[in-house]
Amino acid sequence: MKFAIAVFCAAHAPSSRRALLFARAALAGGHEIVRLFFYQDGVYSASNSVVVPQDEQDIARQWREFVSAHQLDSVVCIAAALRRGVLNEEEAMRYQRSAVNLDAPWELSGLGQLHDAAQAADRLICFGGP
Amino acid sequence: MSTLHVVSHSPFTDSRLDSCLRICGVNDAILLCGDGAYGLHNAALQTKGVKVFVLAEDMQARNLPLPDWADSVDYPGFVQLSLDYDKVNSWL
Repeated sequence: MKFAIAVFCAAHAPSSRRALLFARAALAGGHEIVRLFFYQDGVYSASNSVVVPQDEQDIARQWREFVSAHQLDSVVCIAAALRRGVLNEEEAMRYQRSAVNLDAPWELSGLGQLHDAAQAADRLICFGGP
Repeated sequence: MSTLHVVSHSPFTDSRLDSCLRICGVNDAILLCGDGAYGLHNAALQTKGVKVFVLAEDMQARNLPLPDWADSVDYPGFVQLSLDYDKVNSWL
């Protein structure tokens, strides 16, 4: 079966970890993930400038490794990312900002990608809140 | 059309679980996860006749006993549940 997974929470929220474990279990079960979509505070799950205390899990890094290892289509909402200061090189240049904290494997794109993923998938699963 | 309702907010901090129960159909189910697992304390869950599941690790992390009217699932079980029902509605 095909899954689309939307993440609405930052990497430090337990629900981001739940989304990651769900995604791992889906692939392990032989299912396909058509797209991961990071919306609202979910864009922080894709930031590469997150620094985690040594005794805590680095969920942002685990997301990055998971997405890279499985070469998943992972979209970060561009409007949500810009307003939260999560920028790739292109956007940092466009708006003359000094920091770039989003790179591969993530892609900045619009909300239409969530709609498209929901149409293509058998199930859309959203993770957010605590 | 059946729906799996995913509730991760504690029932002691807001009324999401109550709202969810109000709109649950007879073919629907509720999956409690995170602090939502405290919903196991809510006996009203069993009287609605709705199936109740809880994410095992969240129940164990909070040392909650599993009532006989609920079932616990792991992540592969969560994935399977999401396929057993037509839609998944997360109470964000």
